Amino acid sequence: MTLRLELLPLFLAVTLAAFVCRAGGFWLMRFVNVTARVDAALKAAPLGVMIGIMVPAALRGSTPEWLGLLAAVLVMRLTHKDLVAALAGVAMVALMRAAVG
Amino acid sequence: MEVREREAAAGHQRVRLTLRGTWRGAVEIVPIALFVLPFGIAFGAAAAAKAVPPGIAVLMSATVYSGSAQTATVSGMAAGAGIGASVVTILMLNARYLLYGAALRPWLGQASTLQAYSSLYLLGDGNWVLSMKAHASGESDTAFVFGSGVAMFIPWLGGTLLGSLVNEWVADPKMLGLDFLLVAFCTAMGVGLIKARRDWLPLGAAVVAAVVVDRFASSSWTIVAAGLAGALTAFARAKEPA
Repeated sequence: MTLRLELLPLFLAVTLAAFVCRAGGFWLMRFVNVTARVDAALKAAPLGVMIGIMVPAALRGSTPEWLGLLAAVLVMRLTHKDLVAALAGVAMVALMRAAVG
Repeated sequence: MEVREREAAAGHQRVRLTLRGTWRGAVEIVPIALFVLPFGIAFGAAAAAKAVPPGIAVLMSATVYSGSAQTATVSGMAAGAGIGASVVTILMLNARYLLYGAALRPWLGQASTLQAYSSLYLLGDGNWVLSMKAHASGESDTAFVFGSGVAMFIPWLGGTLLGSLVNEWVADPKMLGLDFLLVAFCTAMGVGLIKARRDWLPLGAAVVAAVVVDRFASSSWTIVAAGLAGALTAFARAKEPA
């Protein structure tokens, strides 16, 4: 595979596909009247997404991941700093994975 | 005359991408952005292993900008998959961005069209989550989204180039726990976001949706399902002001 002209259509297509995903939702919302209820829904989406990122990690993981989640929650409650909490979670996972090997 | 001046001033303000907001976003994303580098390297090395030249790997990182979608596309290309298959793969793996963009509308919609769409081009999971949290905590400058996007994009490109040149990457990002960073960040931010009892019902709905969908779909769809479940619950519970 080299930098050939034949690859141009492929690149245009994948670029467009990726951009449609990123811009599509934003663009469609032009036509939606953001009422108080819609606004509440949009504001609740991030928490839902965070859960959607967290749950598969918890379900597919084992002890290192569970302890990592616990560390992140506890440190967040103690320090109220999400960076510190996230790093604590990562450190816990790395340590436990190394220990379990 | 006065009106025109005021309109010009307002127009100018609307188009302007503030440096301060861009900088704030860039600085706040740095810890996450640093963790992007090894994944960029891993993708570059994986592409090199499939005989993809550095130029193509970097071009792919710059255009698709999604680890899972790029890895799948490169594998597909190496196996001789057509354009259609690559496009479907990307649409399937990146469907969650539709939700991300929609949630950004009330805020990012205040920016100029050019700023809004260039910010969206650079959107990633990490900088979206961080931007939404920043906005919920009072950040009003839309340039925050752009700045945090740029700061994550650069290590992704740099990592890709590095990985495809060095051609091998010995350290497994997973062994270092790096794959857990976004999860840990979301957990921490989620704990920080829950402020009132009314947050618990959308949260519960999101957990149920995530657990169910995770059984039979990829993680991108789990994100979509959980995000929609939270949003719909909040929609159903909210009341229009009389």
